Amino acid sequence: MITITPKRIFDVPIQATCINADVFTGKTLEEIKKLPITEGKENLILDEAFNISEDTAVETPNITLIGDFSKVKRIGQGMKTGEIIINGNVGMHTGEKLAGGKIIVNGNSDGWTGSEMKKGIIEIHGDAGDYTASPFRGTCTGMKGGLITVDGNVGSNVGCYLQGGTIKIKGSAGRFLGHRMTDGTIYVEKDCASRAGPFMTGGKIIITGAVELLMPTFTIDSIKPKVKVDANLTVQGPFYVFLGDIAERGTGKIFALKATNPALVSYEKYL
Amino acid sequence: MVEIIKSVVCPICGCLCDDLEVTVENNEIVKMKNGCAVCEAKMVHGYKSEERILEPHIRKDGKLVPVSMDEAIYKAAQILTDAKYPLLFGWTSSASETQHVGVELAEELGCALDNCCSVCHGPSVMAIQEIGIPTATLGQIRHRADLLVYWACDPWSAHPRHVERYTAFTDGRFEKSEFKEYVQKLKGKASQKKVEAAIRRTQVRYQPSPRPQAAVVEAPPQSLARDGRKMVVFDVRKTMTAEVADYFVQVEPNSDYEIFGAMRCLVNDQELDVDKVGGVPVDYLKEVVDVMVNANFGAIFFGLGLTQSVGRFRNIEIAIAMTRDLNRKTKFVISPMRGHFNVTGANTVFAWQTGYPFALDFSQGYPQYNPGEFTANDLLRRGDNDATLVISADPGAHFPKKSIQNMMKHPLITINPDWNAISRLGDVVFPAQWCGIEQAGTAYRMDSIAISLKKVVEAPKGVPPDEEIIRRILEEVRVIKTQKNKKEEEKGQGQQNLEKKM
Amino acid sequence: MTEILIKNGFVIDPLNKIDCQKMDIAIKDGRIVEKVNERDAKIIDASGLTVMAGGVDLHSHIAGSEVNLGRMLRPDDHVKDAVRKTTLTRSGTGYSIPSTYVTGYRYSKMGYTTVMNPSMAAMKAKHAHEELNDIPLIDKAAFTLLGDWWFALETIAKGDLEECARHIAWMIRATRSYAIKIVNPGGLESWGFGRNVHSLDDEVPNFALTPRDIVTGLAKVNTMLNMPHTIHLHTNNLGVPGNYKTTIETMQALESVYKGDNKPVGHITHIQFGSFAGDNWAHFKSGAAEIANYLNSHNHMTIDIGQVTFADTTTMTADGPFEFSLYELGGHNKWVNSDVETESSGGIIPFHFKKKNAVNAIQWSIGLELSLLIKDPWKVAMTTDHPNGGPFYHYPRVFAWLYSRKAREATLKKCNKKAQRKSLLPTIDREYTLYEIAIITRAGNAKTLGLKNKGHLGIGAEADVAIYNINPETTDIAQDYKPARKAFSNATYTIKDGEIVVKDKELVAIRPGRTMWLDVQTKEPLRIDEELKRKFKQYWTIEFDNYPVTDHYIKVPEKITIQASV
Repeated sequence: MITITPKRIFDVPIQATCINADVFTGKTLEEIKKLPITEGKENLILDEAFNISEDTAVETPNITLIGDFSKVKRIGQGMKTGEIIINGNVGMHTGEKLAGGKIIVNGNSDGWTGSEMKKGIIEIHGDAGDYTASPFRGTCTGMKGGLITVDGNVGSNVGCYLQGGTIKIKGSAGRFLGHRMTDGTIYVEKDCASRAGPFMTGGKIIITGAVELLMPTFTIDSIKPKVKVDANLTVQGPFYVFLGDIAERGTGKIFALKATNPALVSYEKYL
Repeated sequence: MVEIIKSVVCPICGCLCDDLEVTVENNEIVKMKNGCAVCEAKMVHGYKSEERILEPHIRKDGKLVPVSMDEAIYKAAQILTDAKYPLLFGWTSSASETQHVGVELAEELGCALDNCCSVCHGPSVMAIQEIGIPTATLGQIRHRADLLVYWACDPWSAHPRHVERYTAFTDGRFEKSEFKEYVQKLKGKASQKKVEAAIRRTQVRYQPSPRPQAAVVEAPPQSLARDGRKMVVFDVRKTMTAEVADYFVQVEPNSDYEIFGAMRCLVNDQELDVDKVGGVPVDYLKEVVDVMVNANFGAIFFGLGLTQSVGRFRNIEIAIAMTRDLNRKTKFVISPMRGHFNVTGANTVFAWQTGYPFALDFSQGYPQYNPGEFTANDLLRRGDNDATLVISADPGAHFPKKSIQNMMKHPLITINPDWNAISRLGDVVFPAQWCGIEQAGTAYRMDSIAISLKKVVEAPKGVPPDEEIIRRILEEVRVIKTQKNKKEEEKGQGQQNLEKKM
Repeated sequence: MTEILIKNGFVIDPLNKIDCQKMDIAIKDGRIVEKVNERDAKIIDASGLTVMAGGVDLHSHIAGSEVNLGRMLRPDDHVKDAVRKTTLTRSGTGYSIPSTYVTGYRYSKMGYTTVMNPSMAAMKAKHAHEELNDIPLIDKAAFTLLGDWWFALETIAKGDLEECARHIAWMIRATRSYAIKIVNPGGLESWGFGRNVHSLDDEVPNFALTPRDIVTGLAKVNTMLNMPHTIHLHTNNLGVPGNYKTTIETMQALESVYKGDNKPVGHITHIQFGSFAGDNWAHFKSGAAEIANYLNSHNHMTIDIGQVTFADTTTMTADGPFEFSLYELGGHNKWVNSDVETESSGGIIPFHFKKKNAVNAIQWSIGLELSLLIKDPWKVAMTTDHPNGGPFYHYPRVFAWLYSRKAREATLKKCNKKAQRKSLLPTIDREYTLYEIAIITRAGNAKTLGLKNKGHLGIGAEADVAIYNINPETTDIAQDYKPARKAFSNATYTIKDGEIVVKDKELVAIRPGRTMWLDVQTKEPLRIDEELKRKFKQYWTIEFDNYPVTDHYIKVPEKITIQASV
């Protein structure tokens, strides 16, 4: 196990694509220390910004980060195997394009965490920022598989262009949740801000808290007693089921818990 | 000596009206024809401001003191090379030629580069990146549009000649001006006011009609049944433009997204499960959509009311989506009402050199793009940069307090013609010429047509064009960098020698 | 200026009928000369290498409003291909629409030295020239879109071709352009109200004329003006199944303009997109044989291919209605339409050409069939209609498919099964020789464009030279196609105007390229009176004085003066 701690408080962003279990594999501690990073425009080596130590006795997790990493971007980008634990907050693009392995954040994560990920697990035990699991600007393919769990709240534009995989949020979600999603599942245990699922053509969004305002482009389909989140989890209802986005001729589904959404009762007359 | 210069281009807003006639007497603009009130305010009066910066200043012991240009350039270059991650911001009131050198400077420094579009129509650009855009040059709209929709913008106040030059009040090949209709309407309004005044005089207790609150103020649109060009305005308040329009729909603030969604369904002949969206009855929306679908050529213009309210680029995205749907039935275009006269140019110039229109970062040696990550306000809010250069912009007046506070923690260089809010905060303050008045160059109109700005008067002595300042800073940066590299090499060699000896 | 002597290379110079001769090429003051003093000259040992003139691309969208809108549209495209700054070169981004500097670098590394930007809306000419200035290392020129310009339509409808010619001459000068580009004649004007024309004889709404009138009219005007290049024509019904008939009809219409002097009167560009047979997309098939048959028996046309290279690319054209119909087919997240008042329109859609897609694979096959079935290579120019069929730096792949049957069979095998069955390629044995490759990439293109000093290595020619690591004596490129393909993608040397810019496959010097433009002198110049100015004000939203491109917008101009015969 490699343990990394910041040597100082960073004032400009650090880009550290090299903090990645795949990159570290097969390298000696000395080699790892010499891996390149950038601090603003300056080219540094890992050792200049971080204290790095190795504990050969422990195998997993492969990398442990301790301290404030909120200015450090692109940790675990494109990682295929291995495990990273971050004890502290972490910066943008963590686990972007993740293709396997596991990233655990014991703190908050920033924007674009798990962006365009294909496989693997990201656990965030704090809040997650905007654009979690959403792709880069202008990209029309999003997260394809894997699992993201967030214990806290998430920002806006989470799970855009979702094509597969599951996002579980224990807290509340911001606006534009599951924008343009085509498949996959998003489960929000608390409240969801307005404009959930616009342009969605497939997949499901499950909300067991209050829905602030439903897009007019959704139409009520039925009331279901329960809904399956994934193989291990089924949530008891009853749920209002909405179909949409009809402007896109989509067949995505929003499940809103009946008990927490008395405002949606006006839709019942169309059933 | 009196000189009349024709076809002068107005360097204020994105309309770039190029038919001004300017009278110059003793190197001073004394009269102007054809321009709007905003234009006259700047071109006849504003540019002669007493608050003009006439020489470079550097902050010494907390006070700004005049220095030589060489000293200021050296100081600025030093600040920028010493910083780990500077930000270059502004650019939208400069000519494209200046913006061009700006990209080179940012690349040389390996820093962040952003233009004012990140606080105005950047969201429009981001929406285009998500979904594309069906658009047209303004002349196409002038010749053909028989339906004009102004959404969340007030050209009457912000782009005063837009309606007159490009849309409802101009004669096109296939559509005629509606100016006469408008004059009649105005007359009607005036007489109505007279009647009201008369009533007021006779009645002791006159009660003015209450201001309408977030609802449709007019009945379903009978006014839209007539022939000829029609104008519809969607806004949260009854603006001047709305007064002129054939139909005005007042929407609840921050509900445009839902309304567009509903209208999309209606365009696609789908039924809705709700009766009212954003405070507007769906039946009214149906009428408007009918008019849209039956138009020969429709045009939608949108402003900051969409780009900077809740939803931001998603608002534009869905507006464009609606325009796309409308194109399946008729011809429709949509176009942003760009603000500063060369904000479109900044996007254009940045894009052809780097591929990206704004929110750039060169820290990796190649261009990276991500609004939200590299946009000026986001960088400043997080306190990510450690030096700032502001050119032809005034974030001091427009940015949130937190951003300015973080900006002030580090050195600040400004390049502006007059002592605006940001110049007063600067550590190195450069003077600059007024682009389009004292300095020629290229600007891009809101529909990205390049137009040459003219130089009509001479700048005060010693005040250089901003392009020259940026170019000189770039040269100085290169000199400092080579010296640094040399020193490091020597140091490296020294160490090697030392190692050999050992 | 330094003198250079390229020694012992295998020189291929079709315009001077030199086919793989071992000879020396001498360069002095930016020109090819008889000989130089060997003691003073820089010697390039080219033994075992192939020496050709610098490549000439006659159709590649590299700059201008349309291209730049495409750039803005696709951050997802750029992020795949970021280019780092070096001490010599600027940074940028690539993939399907590279930024300006990167465009110049990549062309030069391929040994190309001249590129034509074929689609420039007149109103947006300043923008196009600003971008062209920023493309280093290559000479360039732009073609103005004039096929749906109101002045042209009105004068042609009136039957006054001389007046039309004077207007066009003015416009060519005002936009600093090199040729007349016609895109979907009549269709773009119709698109102003969301319609299109579907045959050569449909009437253009609001203008009493047909696409046939526009094409033949402008071809005649082109002859009157003595333009070096013919009209550059993007046909009607582009991208519609069964459109090969329209393409042949268009060529037949131009027979009336042809004088029988072997001087072509029209150039049909990216003809692959106009060679579709079948009634609909389900019955989509190749019309290449019919087109090739026609071209083999007629000499009044030249063409370029518009080859598909299977890439995730960005289609962009002034043909707005075509892009809309492409968007209507579905599956596209992004669609851009950009009309230009009184002149033109435009459209952009990101498009991924896939081998496993039947239509895409057949399109790929059509391009190659055309190149192989048209017997005379001087009629053919190799393009991908960058970025429509694929980015320009995929050219070497196309060369390989042409010079090696083995290469194209290897690709065909990976294609959609239905497309494989429909393809004519298995029946074609022809393999291009290096000599023929040189024709379709430089010699023929220079001839088609009327560029006298480019595309060859004769005495007096501009010293634009490409040296590739191909030894025609020891290698059989048809059998062993990969090394040659690699050699073509990165020239060992590129010489631009007598300066070595690529050495040992690396850029070693950066110099600006020139922008060529025509100053067409009509006997009687266009009368600029109040009447014209009034009309101008009516038609455009820019003042007459502010319309033309001034010298400020061209960094290194090369003015070519032409005497017109009207």
